[in-house]
Amino acid sequence: MKHPKPPLLNRRAFLRTGGGLAVAGWALAENPAARAAAPGQKNPWAYDVSAYETTDPALLAYTELRRFKVPRAEARRLTRGPDGRLWLCAGHYLVTLDAEGRPGQEIALSAPARCAAVAPDGTLYVSLRTHVEVFDASGNRRAVWEAPQARAWLSGLLATADTVYAADSGNRVVWRCDRSGRVISRLGEKDPARGIPGLVLPSPHLVVVGHPDGRLRLNNAGRHLVETYTPEGERVSAWGKPGMGIAAFCGCCNPIALAVLPDGRVVTAEKGLPRVKVYHPDGRLDGVVAGVEHFPENARASRGDTAGNTLNVSLDVATDPDGRIYILDPVAAEVRVMWPKART
Amino acid sequence: MTTPPSGNPPLNRRQFLRDGARVAALTGLGALFGLAAPRVARGQKYVWQIDPTRCVYCGQCATACVLKPSAVKCVQSYPICGYCDLCTGYFVPEPNALNTGAENQVCPTAAIERRFIEDPYYEYNINEDRCIGCAKCVEGCTRFGNGSFYLQVRHDRCVNCNECSIARVCAGDAFRRVPAEQPYYLKTTAHA
Repeated sequence: MKHPKPPLLNRRAFLRTGGGLAVAGWALAENPAARAAAPGQKNPWAYDVSAYETTDPALLAYTELRRFKVPRAEARRLTRGPDGRLWLCAGHYLVTLDAEGRPGQEIALSAPARCAAVAPDGTLYVSLRTHVEVFDASGNRRAVWEAPQARAWLSGLLATADTVYAADSGNRVVWRCDRSGRVISRLGEKDPARGIPGLVLPSPHLVVVGHPDGRLRLNNAGRHLVETYTPEGERVSAWGKPGMGIAAFCGCCNPIALAVLPDGRVVTAEKGLPRVKVYHPDGRLDGVVAGVEHFPENARASRGDTAGNTLNVSLDVATDPDGRIYILDPVAAEVRVMWPKART
Repeated sequence: MTTPPSGNPPLNRRQFLRDGARVAALTGLGALFGLAAPRVARGQKYVWQIDPTRCVYCGQCATACVLKPSAVKCVQSYPICGYCDLCTGYFVPEPNALNTGAENQVCPTAAIERRFIEDPYYEYNINEDRCIGCAKCVEGCTRFGNGSFYLQVRHDRCVNCNECSIARVCAGDAFRRVPAEQPYYLKTTAHA
């Protein structure tokens, strides 16, 4: 008797195999990892600046003393008061931090704080982009100064014993005011007769800082220059050059922040390649405080590796009379305290 | 003892079936109107678009589109642009000189046109016929500049596939279905 030949695939096996394949196909299609570019696949059109993302160790002149998280979100700017406290502009708040990063006084504002400066008597000046609010040392609001001109974007403040300088990125000028807010003169405006080429500011990062020589330093970011002005507005000198290399200022518009050390050296911060450097007063590179590799989260955000806004990642810097450099990294939401290696 | 006659006579089978059919027909009609009404009211048609805040310049727009060259193009937001002399969307990271020499340009197809305005400002325009949507300029501009260059699906070219082949591989998950009446994301501010 001849036995019937068993079928190659019975109905149950067919259904089981088909169902398994369908489930596997669905899982593959839904798997985000499978949808994204294959790992390790190089983008042939990447804007490659990786050669500039590591720093020559011989140039690293600073070591990190400590770092602390900032107590409020959307930290943007940092300044140091005459009493040694750090003032942090973070969202709608101004917060003081002590040397260990502990928050103290806090002032709530009606709009995001853009920058702040503290006069020697403790009076606090805060830019809310289009106007300046004045607070006494106890945090009570005493005055509001409207911007002298429309389209103002007040991005930098400097307060001395008798003068307040307000750097206006929107109008490409620095307003020199007395302590009551009255405008005395304008600095940095284009004036070929006085040899002033004018400020070029593709982005709102104009700052003004004081120098031990009694003059002012401005960052003419679109021209990649640090410019020296007298308080009366005469342009004395300028230094800086464009380039990705460590001695130059990268991208379209850098440096974006300045601070001055007690001996007159100038600290600069850059965006795009987040790095902080120190220059001699004549513009020679002295050393690197922190390179791109020291800001991994910021560098990732700058590269666009994390989806979201890459425009508000700019570092800020401040100094103290002992030579410490404070770096605010808004992406990592932390302040780093740097100390010269030569003095450790 | 007799039971008094009820006010409602009992439902016979024929009436039950007739009423049931009526209810079913009305329900079906209602559902049909319910489904159709919002579509008619909104005139819904959707198209693909790229959310620029999610774009990570992965380069897939240039290669994954069913069209060659891609329907994705770089666009320029003039209110945001800084009109920089050293435009990082136009120049390679370390250009030999700030001029229109091919070796200095970041765009692989020379699709960006640079035009002098006044010292030191230049205007940058995209030639869409040349643009392949690779986002190299977008990365340079966004990383170092104001981010005025960004990618958009151009609807005079896009064939609006049901399943966009770029959206499937987009590393930033930036592709969205947007109403055809508002088919573009317009970047108007660079800084918050």
